[in-house]
Amino acid sequence: MNYLIELLVSGLAVGAVYGLIAMSFAIIFKATGLLNFAQGEMGMITAYVAFSIASATDGNPWLTAAGAIVFSVLFALAVERIVIRPMVDEPILARIMTTIGLAVIFRSGTMLVWDALPHDMGLAAGSALVDLGGVRVRGAQIGVVVALAVAVAAMLAFFRYSRFGIAMRAVASDDATARLMGVKTARVQQAAWGAAAVMSGIAGALFAIAWELSPSLYALGLKSFPATILGGLDSVVGSAFGGVVIGITENLVGGYLSPGLKEVAGFVIIIAILMVRPYGLFGEKRIERL
Amino acid sequence: MKSWKGAALLAAALAAPAMAADQGVTDTEILLGEVEPLTGPPGLLGIAHNLGVRLALAEANAAGGVGGRTLKLVAEDDGYVTSRTIQSLRKLIGVDKVFALTAVSGSGQAVASIPVLKQSGIPTMIPIGPLPPLYEPPMDNVFVVGQSYTEGMHQLALFLAEKHPGAKWGVITQDDDYGAALREGIEQAKGEAQIEVAFETRYARGQKDFSSEMLRVKDAGVEVLIAGGIISENIAMVKEAEKLGITPAIATFWPGRVPEVLKAIGPASDGIYAVDYVAPIQSDAGQAFLELARKHLTEDEVARVNRYTMTGYTSTRLLIAAMQTCAEDLTWACTNQALADGPAVDTGVMAPAAFAGGRFTNSPVTIMQADYETLSYAPVD
Repeated sequence: MNYLIELLVSGLAVGAVYGLIAMSFAIIFKATGLLNFAQGEMGMITAYVAFSIASATDGNPWLTAAGAIVFSVLFALAVERIVIRPMVDEPILARIMTTIGLAVIFRSGTMLVWDALPHDMGLAAGSALVDLGGVRVRGAQIGVVVALAVAVAAMLAFFRYSRFGIAMRAVASDDATARLMGVKTARVQQAAWGAAAVMSGIAGALFAIAWELSPSLYALGLKSFPATILGGLDSVVGSAFGGVVIGITENLVGGYLSPGLKEVAGFVIIIAILMVRPYGLFGEKRIERL
Repeated sequence: MKSWKGAALLAAALAAPAMAADQGVTDTEILLGEVEPLTGPPGLLGIAHNLGVRLALAEANAAGGVGGRTLKLVAEDDGYVTSRTIQSLRKLIGVDKVFALTAVSGSGQAVASIPVLKQSGIPTMIPIGPLPPLYEPPMDNVFVVGQSYTEGMHQLALFLAEKHPGAKWGVITQDDDYGAALREGIEQAKGEAQIEVAFETRYARGQKDFSSEMLRVKDAGVEVLIAGGIISENIAMVKEAEKLGITPAIATFWPGRVPEVLKAIGPASDGIYAVDYVAPIQSDAGQAFLELARKHLTEDEVARVNRYTMTGYTSTRLLIAAMQTCAEDLTWACTNQALADGPAVDTGVMAPAAFAGGRFTNSPVTIMQADYETLSYAPVD
């Protein structure tokens, strides 16, 4: 029984990382119709900035968290304003290719600014081991599950109760009509980019604390994108669910069947679900797939 | 008549590479080239290797060069992508017209480059990924420095079997040529010692989460774990073991034997076994090497020195020694022969290296153990 619980807990922790990044993909898609393939790289850069802040502040977790969150928002707003917004009326494929180009630039830039070496984040609280009824986890793993829960609750409240959230739904539903109704679509899109950067940044930094920081961290974006597809490309909360499903499935398959199958297990589930629900578990039917 | 002349011209053009064996050599300089990953995570090895080559060249140039000619280097970044390796090789040989190659990226990239290397005949050093297909069967112009992954694993497994008799083993390896070489080494050791593998699995390159694998290790009661990853994978495996509260004897391989890995793992890295044919940086030989590096490299560059700097340095010293032998007649044929038959080069950081008529130095390996406090490795008695 303990073996099963340990598999579930580990799966939940890594699934929460996927879930947060998957939510980032979904919120940008929902607000702008764009798939940002540089999302994993943006999370990685925030993790590196957190590493630099932690190094400079002797591992102060509060300063590190505050600094990394502020950076992630400013970074995302700069990317949105300088690169994405000027291309807003260009064909969707050109815009997606732009995000792929950004991903390559961010990966190389990380190597130039920092290095190729693996690093410990230097945040003792995050890497400390905590005993939860016989199951040992790292502080950062608890942190990422809590962060996912908070992000899901915040998104539910945001879309249901806030005027801005309702405006975002209107933009997602019909950009042109929303603009005619007085909705400031540029502001909505900025908010989506900012929120996405915070979520993927938290995921990247907490993953780096629990395991390690290296320039291969961007690969989390590739692992998380299928979770967005599974949950529904335009469903922010559904994407979080997709991440958790993939994380837990991978671990159960690795634990009970063959570890060699864990990398494909998530994709098998995605194919099976997409054959029944092509728009994902919680997505809307009208999505145009690319 | 016209067509006969055309055929003669074509034949001359095809034969050109063989006749232009001294390309890259002028009265004042000799141009060398190499391909390696200088960006992306594998840059950890490529950048360090490049420093070793530059160190050897700087040292030789300070001593008057080769036959009075200054040695220069063109380094191409392939990002560890095989198609880019081949493209860069063609550029170095055909466009830059370098005289010799000081590296051809990692093991997979070098193996894929064999047809290009064979066809060109250019003297080529392979100090990064010494896989058997690069020296078995031997090629006239390809010289492999170091030891094969298979033999390294074979020796490591024999040591562990003797040290932990009757223990249950766990083996986690990558699903590529690197992982296959490690598995072959274990198979060879099984024929000579009692090794009971209780859990064995392969992971896909790039995998980051090893929680289920390590739970299986715990469940199987593994006492000796071969962590057959490269860098990030081994960090993840050891940290998972620490999280699960298990303490098997963990053994890693030389690609990840750098202090940064111990630092990233933390105190759980203490006591990890490793195998290598290169001296630890904290050893006397390693410290002497650092002193040499400080004379020719910048402070930032010295900070990036690791075992790949030492292999790059040793390999390039072998090449320079061969070129010195042929300084009066600096051709590919002479250099290849001088490399094969030349005396051993002793850099202190590896056993004296020579090809002894062959194309592989077959360097002896040492088993080491990590010391977290000093972020270093020390040879095991």
